[in-house]
Amino acid sequence: MKTNILGIYEDEDVLLHAIDKLQADGIVVADVYSPFPIHGIWSRLKLTTRLPYATFVYGAVGAVAIFMMLYWMSVVSYPLKFGGKPLNTLSFIIIMFVGTIFIGTLLTFLTYLGREKMFPGKQVILPDPRSTEDKFVLVIAKPEDMNDQETKHLMKMLKETGATEIKESTVNDHE
Amino acid sequence: MDKKVQLSGKFKLIMLVMIVLGVISVIAGFVTENGTRTWANLLLNNYYFLSIAMGALFWMAIQAVTQSGWSVAYLRIPQAMSNYLIVSFVLFALMFLGVHDLYHWTHADAVAQDPLLQHKAPYLNLPFFALRFVVFFGLWIFLTYRIKSLSLREDKVGGVAYFSKIEFASKVFIFVFAFSFSLFSIDWLMSLDPHWYSTIYVVKKFISAFFHGVAAIAAIAIILRKLGYLPMLTKEHIANFSRYIFALSIIWAYMWLSQYLLIWYANIPEETIYYVPREMGEYKTMFYTELLVNWAFPFLFLMWNRVAKNENLVLFAVLVLIVGQWVELYMSIMPSIELKHAISLIEVGTFIGFAGLFGLVTGYSLSKMPLIPKNHPYLLESTTEEHF
Repeated sequence: MKTNILGIYEDEDVLLHAIDKLQADGIVVADVYSPFPIHGIWSRLKLTTRLPYATFVYGAVGAVAIFMMLYWMSVVSYPLKFGGKPLNTLSFIIIMFVGTIFIGTLLTFLTYLGREKMFPGKQVILPDPRSTEDKFVLVIAKPEDMNDQETKHLMKMLKETGATEIKESTVNDHE
Repeated sequence: MDKKVQLSGKFKLIMLVMIVLGVISVIAGFVTENGTRTWANLLLNNYYFLSIAMGALFWMAIQAVTQSGWSVAYLRIPQAMSNYLIVSFVLFALMFLGVHDLYHWTHADAVAQDPLLQHKAPYLNLPFFALRFVVFFGLWIFLTYRIKSLSLREDKVGGVAYFSKIEFASKVFIFVFAFSFSLFSIDWLMSLDPHWYSTIYVVKKFISAFFHGVAAIAAIAIILRKLGYLPMLTKEHIANFSRYIFALSIIWAYMWLSQYLLIWYANIPEETIYYVPREMGEYKTMFYTELLVNWAFPFLFLMWNRVAKNENLVLFAVLVLIVGQWVELYMSIMPSIELKHAISLIEVGTFIGFAGLFGLVTGYSLSKMPLIPKNHPYLLESTTEEHF
């Protein structure tokens, strides 16, 4: 069992300033749940991702794979001259272009789903379901040895930064 | 906020030396080479810097129409470039001395023997050509001057009234630009081959102008930041500029391929003749250089996030693209003039001269107005690091 302290905000600008203030005091903000992407969260929470590198690899593999398919079809398997064009031709480019985008996008999407352990129909675990509507939820992981006084102090700080609602929630480890 | 760019004496001196070098090169060109070649070279450089300025102004109009916040601090750079249009008008007017050297369709005897040129004569004739030239430049100078003066008045008065006026003027400018710049490219570049035509040609020229215009703005912004101006040019803003350059490099290649592939595929002699000297003759290396410099390099280089946010590396990419626009125009103009591919010191010198003139006009205009539009309603979005 882990306990999180949640600060619920009404406005994304207030939330951004709250993160700055909390981080200045050395409090680690574990996560933020918001109805839409917020510019500036990424750098503040020091999030990183390797997904773009995977996309690049998928795109490159896709381009080569589509080229090999076209080459095999129109040069090796069924060579058919028309219009005096060479068999291994420039018109491959269009299909390679589209195929690169398709393979790159699809595999990136699947990688993302795999890494996030998501699948269609999965029951989402949200700290507060209103974060999909109009609330911005800031999550702080509560250390196990934190006593009541420290917890109160933390909650007071959240209140000062503009949180409209503060609560503790427990999460099961396996979730 | 009221800070203006201070032009150092050294900058002015360097620019003047560059202009003198350019004048010497042009004179040397007329003395040593044939006139046609030198006129073509002048056309190249004239069109080059016009397209940079027009592309940058188009970017400025786009910012107003989309009501972008992040770019507010950089709007003065294209506004300064709008003064170059007047210089460009004079330089293009001088080109009329060389129209008979450049344009086959201006010779009455050639038209008399050529049914196709006769067919095109209602459009391609010198009086109408000159009229279009004057009207287009008049519209561009008027509209960009209006946007600039509205922006300067906004500095004094404030409020949102000028904001919406600028937005309206920018909308008009975009439509005028789309129509007139296309016809301008047909007139001055495509009519070098009056028998050949391509419907995607002007789209490619427009994208190319936009592409390299944004690159020029990014370069000037980064250089100004290095000189201590524009402290708001953060990594995010540099990334925004590189996104423009990156996306436009893809569109540029798309347009290049759209033109090339259809002509290659249809294989009609009247159309393929355009690519014969370009791809098969002496221009072969330049043909591939054009693609490499304008597409492959920025695409693969700016793809990396760390590169796209690093001002020195973006500046390097822009410098490569400045060569790229030259190569693109060189490939549009020179193979239509002569089959011999030769880049001599005269070409380099002329380019340096025009670059000096462009730099001097832009720098001087920048120094005459506050560098940052201080009463723009979205200024805080641009100058505050947190919200863009």
